[in-house]
Amino acid sequence: MSIVEDRLPDEGGDDLLAAEFVLGVLSAEERAAAARRIEAEPAFARLVERWEGDLAPMSAAYAPVEPPASAKAGLDRRLFPEGGERSRPRLWSSLAFWRGLAAAAVAALALAILLPFAVRPPAPQDRLVASLSAADSDVRYVALYDPAAGQVDLRHVSGERAAGRDFELWVIEGANQPISMGVIPAGETAQLPVEAEVGGRLAAGAKLAISLEPAGGSPTGLPTGPVISLGDLLRL
Amino acid sequence: MEPKASASAGDRSPVGQPDVTRLIVRVSMKDRAAFDLLYRQTSAKLFGVCLRVLNDRSEAEEALQEVFVKIWTKADRFAASDLSPISWLVAIARNHAIDRLRQRRQTAAGIEEAAEIADPALDPEALAAAGGEAGRIHRCLEELDTDRAEAVRGAYIRGESYAELAARHGVPLNTMRTWLRRSLLKLRECLER
Repeated sequence: MSIVEDRLPDEGGDDLLAAEFVLGVLSAEERAAAARRIEAEPAFARLVERWEGDLAPMSAAYAPVEPPASAKAGLDRRLFPEGGERSRPRLWSSLAFWRGLAAAAVAALALAILLPFAVRPPAPQDRLVASLSAADSDVRYVALYDPAAGQVDLRHVSGERAAGRDFELWVIEGANQPISMGVIPAGETAQLPVEAEVGGRLAAGAKLAISLEPAGGSPTGLPTGPVISLGDLLRL
Repeated sequence: MEPKASASAGDRSPVGQPDVTRLIVRVSMKDRAAFDLLYRQTSAKLFGVCLRVLNDRSEAEEALQEVFVKIWTKADRFAASDLSPISWLVAIARNHAIDRLRQRRQTAAGIEEAAEIADPALDPEALAAAGGEAGRIHRCLEELDTDRAEAVRGAYIRGESYAELAARHGVPLNTMRTWLRRSLLKLRECLER
């Protein structure tokens, strides 16, 4: 009130103050005072909103400028600090949770959990999930392939690797020779990069498999040890 | 207040893109995928706003992040607003950028290098999309003297304070204040005709 009354006693009143606020000419203190009134007084808030609507067409003068990619990354870090770099549920990193599930249930649950997060921008390809296991082995992983990130996320569920041995991940497509995606780093979670060409095969319905290999991975470029875990990729 | 469903009829999202109204509503339900999509669709416009007002890329980037934090936390308020979705988003960005500008000018006293960038031509796509109602404010501005209309536009687009406008137009501060208030009163009168 006082801001306007002091300066312009008989003209405009609150409506003029609302206009000055929307236009942006007020000082920091005056803006803060007006902002408080917007919160506290619905009638004043309506005056402000009416000016916002009336003056909005002038904003056509703002030419769009693509912000740097760092802006979105920083925004995500601010808003979702626990979520890692991509929209991933927290359960993803809960080892106890995944261990407690039977292999068959893992895929179903991975789907159920990840599904809400799969409502994503219309990407050319979508994300794929696989539960990797085998009847005669206790090695289990859950794999999530995200084409946008160009990587496979692996969540180790159970099964230790013996000293001097490594787990290697393969893409198996029909009768073609398996393609190595690399040795799976030890740990509860691991990421392996996926080349676009291999990604296309995954999207086309290839399987993922894990073989037991000498430390450092297969010396031949093809699996040399037994397949200890495998599974189909399901589209999210 | 109208229910938001009716406001979406005037939504201005280009054909083939998910409607911005629906995205904001989904964001109010903390739908992160919708938030990502909303960012993808609107961040260039809102960055344009921040950049124009703040005239500094790194500060504008910071401001843009803060703007989207506000959008994330306050999206539920959109339902109670009569503004079009883009106008609502632009209002958040402009107000935030202007707040930042005022804080900055206050701390670093006396920087009067009032950015003399030429105003870009009006974004024709946005103008066309804005449709009939948009004409109103432009028509009313034309009823003002050229330099006064220019002061109103400059204040709106660059977020200039009374003091900066006075310096730019070479008139005493009180003169500028009177000018601008008279102009605003005339605009209100014209808008209501």
